[in-house]
Amino acid sequence: MSLSETLLPVAVLLPLGAATLMLALAHWLPPRLPKIVAIFVALAVCAICLGLAHASLDGPVRHWFGGWTPDAAHRPGVVLGIGFQADPASAALAAFCGLMFSASFVFAWGYFDTEHAHFHVLMLLFLAAMVGFCLTRDLFNLFVWFELMSIAAFALTAYPLGRSALEGAFTFTVTNALASFLMLAGTGLLYARTGTFDFATMGEAVARTGSDPVLTGGFVLVAAALLTKAAILPFHLWLADAHAVAPSPVSVIFSGAMVSLGLFGLAKLVAQVFSGSADVTGLVHGLLHGLGLATALVAGVMAFAQRHLKRLLAFSTISHLGIMLTALSAGTDTATAGLLLYILGHGLTKGALFMVAGTLLSLRQSADEIVLYGQGRGLWAPALAMIGGGLLLGGLPLGLMHGATGLIERSASAPAQAITTLATALTGAAILRAAARIFLRASGVPGPELLAPTEREHEKPDRPVWLMAFPALALVALALVPPGAALPFLGAATARLHDPSAPPLALPEGGSVNLVPLGLTAALFALALLRRRALHRPARAVTRAERAGFRALQALHSGLVGDYVTWMAVGLALFALASAL
Amino acid sequence: MSTLSPGALPISALPWLVAAWLFAVGLYGIVTSRHCVHLVGCLTVCQSATYVLLLGLGYVREAGPPVFYDHPPGTPAVDPVVQALVLTDIVVGAAVTALLLAIAIQVQRRRGTLDPQALRPLRPPPPSAE
Amino acid sequence: MTPRWRLLLLALALLVLAPAVLRVALTLPAFGAPTAALGQTVNALAPELRHVANMVAAVNFDLRGIDTLGEECMLLCAVTGATVLLRGARGEHDTARAGRLPGRPVTPRADATVLVCRIFATLTLMVGLSVALHGMTTPGGGFQGGVIAASGLLLLYLGEGYAGWRALVPPPVLVALEGGGALLFVLCAGLPLLAGHPALQNRLPLGEFRDLYSGGLMVLVNAAVALSVAGSFGLLLVEFLEETREAGDDPISDEEDR
Repeated sequence: MSLSETLLPVAVLLPLGAATLMLALAHWLPPRLPKIVAIFVALAVCAICLGLAHASLDGPVRHWFGGWTPDAAHRPGVVLGIGFQADPASAALAAFCGLMFSASFVFAWGYFDTEHAHFHVLMLLFLAAMVGFCLTRDLFNLFVWFELMSIAAFALTAYPLGRSALEGAFTFTVTNALASFLMLAGTGLLYARTGTFDFATMGEAVARTGSDPVLTGGFVLVAAALLTKAAILPFHLWLADAHAVAPSPVSVIFSGAMVSLGLFGLAKLVAQVFSGSADVTGLVHGLLHGLGLATALVAGVMAFAQRHLKRLLAFSTISHLGIMLTALSAGTDTATAGLLLYILGHGLTKGALFMVAGTLLSLRQSADEIVLYGQGRGLWAPALAMIGGGLLLGGLPLGLMHGATGLIERSASAPAQAITTLATALTGAAILRAAARIFLRASGVPGPELLAPTEREHEKPDRPVWLMAFPALALVALALVPPGAALPFLGAATARLHDPSAPPLALPEGGSVNLVPLGLTAALFALALLRRRALHRPARAVTRAERAGFRALQALHSGLVGDYVTWMAVGLALFALASAL
Repeated sequence: MSTLSPGALPISALPWLVAAWLFAVGLYGIVTSRHCVHLVGCLTVCQSATYVLLLGLGYVREAGPPVFYDHPPGTPAVDPVVQALVLTDIVVGAAVTALLLAIAIQVQRRRGTLDPQALRPLRPPPPSAE
Repeated sequence: MTPRWRLLLLALALLVLAPAVLRVALTLPAFGAPTAALGQTVNALAPELRHVANMVAAVNFDLRGIDTLGEECMLLCAVTGATVLLRGARGEHDTARAGRLPGRPVTPRADATVLVCRIFATLTLMVGLSVALHGMTTPGGGFQGGVIAASGLLLLYLGEGYAGWRALVPPPVLVALEGGGALLFVLCAGLPLLAGHPALQNRLPLGEFRDLYSGGLMVLVNAAVALSVAGSFGLLLVEFLEETREAGDDPISDEEDR
């Protein structure tokens, strides 16, 4: 075995080993040791995966656990064991997870002083699950890592033990546990028809079978689970609650990496398993495209109408996930390349923004932009990170996200482009509005955000501000890297996501600088800050109508677990309708 | 292709319909639940649908268990892979239930109620000053 | 949404889903005649390749061993999470001591109860051990054995009373068992890598078919799972039972009280 083949399972086994060792010795370890170990393990995972991404440029790196290679059974189409496979995209995404975890660990330094190593044990298991999710090529193994990821996430959400945290964690657990049952049932259906779990072998079987309700049904169930994780309308309702109430270092991971992994898993399945099924590709191009646009728009509007900073960021995450889903459903190579780049750019930016929210929760004891009015004076580093992040999300023509948007829009229709641009501008303007209120004492009478739910809470104070600001600024700086340098790698990654032996793709160099999103962001931002008290009768009528609309939208995001589960069933019904038509 | 008339349903489709029915009943329970612990119970009903489905998919008519202790290897046996999957499924269920019940205990302490209709993360906004 | 609307929406969704479900059910391979070849291949090959009689164990601990590692970690994660959740309210410091509920009378136990409980707790532990040890040959294995062994702890609680029971099962030891078992699994997976073999490769002598020692590395993995599961479930019992001891006072107050 070559070195990279040996290192492939280490990327998962290292964090698992570190976590179990720390748990076994939790009672006797000095309190500082787990924090240091966790940072180094995350960095090591990042380095290993970067090495794998580099090595896989010469062809996919594979590792068959227990030596059960596909020919061990000497029967065609029967794969006895489980394989890991690193292609450039999967390995790079796993490395990205390692990077986000190390940043989050630095940010969380001093947050969890009292507990034994528990926080770091859970986080390392979480990391291992995400890396395994990226690297596996076995459907049931994918489910195992998906579920480990979920359970670690449930526990971490409830960690602060506050009232909202517990209730958010309860909703999160119920909805995502249901999603995992759907995924398991889907996996069972696909196994019953294809007789295998291995992506490549299953892909061959799917291409042989052709049109078949069992295959479509299996895909729908697995896709519903992944879309629940990726928070796509109408499966998205849990996210805003969970991300808003989880501890900030955990929200960084949730929004930065976990949710977009759901979409990445879906993209990988569509490319490697279902590319031969016309029914499934029809669903992807049709229904998923529509759901992506709806998600982008609805969540963008919701983000604009929030006052609780973390909830605002959570809705912005949902909105950007919708944009990513439109890229996924377009199905062209440039759009897929755009999707991969967008995951990185958005993850870095959103991670930094959640760190700013955490900094405010720690130093100013609130995350409510109206309560925090003018309280951010003197915190120049978080202000810089927040304004930078807001501009990046709002379409600043620099950095990874702008490059990704350029790639995605090459294959998007004009109405779709209009919707994604509007969604981008809404989220960007919402973040900039909050930043202006908090750090610059900009005024403006609150609009619909005044009605949004909020919470009085805080996070552990007396942590050094530079230790919280440094990772946030570093992530924003990384998101500002010019995308041109990454294009050759991205071309290879996109081509090999579909076919491991494909030649690298030549991606178009950065197109024209598109200032429309930024302009729209600025307009919405100005609209929010120039708002004055409605004194005249027509102005009052407008305000009243606006409030009624937003109130209806807020009522849909009720926070009740029964509502959320009902909407999940409606989502499944949408799939059933779309595949019957 | 079989027809969809209910009278002509082959008996061999019954296990899958039972699984679907269990899942639907579980969903009904979750949606109408007025107590979190009851809700967790309904969640496990949904989960048992996956047990039925998976074990049904692996069943072979007139075959024994996939354990060759009393009968020699080579005797017909059901699919061991789905049984292994169900074992994983059971562990998932145990893990999720343990976590949910622990959360429920804490919710009861903090809120004094376990009615899902009353539990909303992030409270409604304070009365506006306008 | 009011409950009535919600129910209406759910009914509508399920109504739409029903034909789709019916279609899938009718096209699935008929009950009792699966077409997937993997399972029968395992039945045909594994007894010879791995010298074990229990095919489910062969799948769990060898062919798809990495799945089981992930599953083991799920349990670990859930128990750690539940521990944090339950302990959070009590504070971490006094986990080694038994909690007390002031004013609750300590019911004296009859000698017969104590004796019966001790005998049956031992028996349960033995059954658990036996089920775990025979995992390669008969139905059972580390998971089942671990759960049975841990449930024997409840009988001890019944017999010894709460304080005596807590003295018998210190949580740090259970945590060490839980983490140590999982660590052993990770080592089983990782050590073959050092020798240049694939992870989890079964390099140990395979033993005799139908023997207590059969399956090579699988025996070790099985033992690791048994230890970890016993520790996890033991810990879960301790933490949930400790909950019954707590008086209402709550060291972590809610946000608005601060």
